[in-house]
Amino acid sequence: MDDSNTETILGIIREFANVGAGNAATALASLLDMELVNEVTSCEIMPLSRIGEWLGGNDKVVAGTYTQLCGDLRSGVLVVFPRESAATIVEHLAGEGTDLVDLSPIQVSALCEVGNICLCWYLVAVSRMIDTDLIPAPPGAAVDLLGAVLDIPLAALGGSVDAVIAVHTVFKGVERSFEGYFLLLPEDLMLKTILDKVGDTLK
Amino acid sequence: MKGAKLVGIAEFAVTRAPEQLCCIGLGSCVAVFIYDPEARIGGVLHALLPRAPDGQKSDARYTDSGIRMLHSEIMSKGANGRKLWAKLVGGARMFPDLDVKLRDIGGENVRQARKTLRELGVRIVAEEVEGDKGRSAYYSLEDGKVTLKTAFSEAKEI
Repeated sequence: MDDSNTETILGIIREFANVGAGNAATALASLLDMELVNEVTSCEIMPLSRIGEWLGGNDKVVAGTYTQLCGDLRSGVLVVFPRESAATIVEHLAGEGTDLVDLSPIQVSALCEVGNICLCWYLVAVSRMIDTDLIPAPPGAAVDLLGAVLDIPLAALGGSVDAVIAVHTVFKGVERSFEGYFLLLPEDLMLKTILDKVGDTLK
Repeated sequence: MKGAKLVGIAEFAVTRAPEQLCCIGLGSCVAVFIYDPEARIGGVLHALLPRAPDGQKSDARYTDSGIRMLHSEIMSKGANGRKLWAKLVGGARMFPDLDVKLRDIGGENVRQARKTLRELGVRIVAEEVEGDKGRSAYYSLEDGKVTLKTAFSEAKEI
């Protein structure tokens, strides 16, 4: 890919990222009972090894929800909420302030469900983009150091995934805002399918 | 801990007192610390997966081949093989509910590390492994102490 081509492809992926973020915002607005507007602030394709740095450093505490797709188009899918954003979500759900390292199991579970809802709605957008059904396995979730959260995707897919599609979204409410990251870790066939479909769109 | 050199995934580093090394955010990865307390030479491996596929003898992504690379580098720097000890950190199960292959990759990393160290004749003097929480480890070549931090608890030394 040359640079101008990459820019065009990223532009198209960004449009779908916007759709995914819009889906997620609608679902979250309903779940959290608050009005939300969303803005995709950045959308990039980067090597797996750069993700930790892009998300702010491996020593940061985050809430992560991870799953892999079943079927031929193997991919990892990870949604990450940074510490303050995750705390904002829990505060809104629980009605009281808290820190991410002091969550009760039920609060962790609620946070994971929020991550799962986002993950699924972004996936719907990806599924439409490539016109293929995508079926995620039941997700797992963790509140922990970012580096630790990234170990499983790296271990499961590090040998077969070169590029990650990374989307940063800000969800803005009237009183509260939070941000989230959606990461798609496509194996070769999945990445090729995405780029081919995007290429068709260009023609 | 300022001044500690970061050892990332699939890397290893060997150095001597008074240097410091660290591994940040160990989840299912295992960190293998080896030290010669007399020569005060040591190093750490930050491995991702347990076993190298056949034929890959020099790949620090893997616990088995990585430990052998680390061990031979430490020996080449003048350590005494009979004095060496090891400490293990990491190998957590980060997503206990996740229903995909490799969900207990952390436990496999730890078991492989014990096996390879036994084959090399390096005794393990301390472990802080498995569980479901990530860890960061800071290693002082001054005395071989490893300071552990998690997101949820006070720092601890092994």
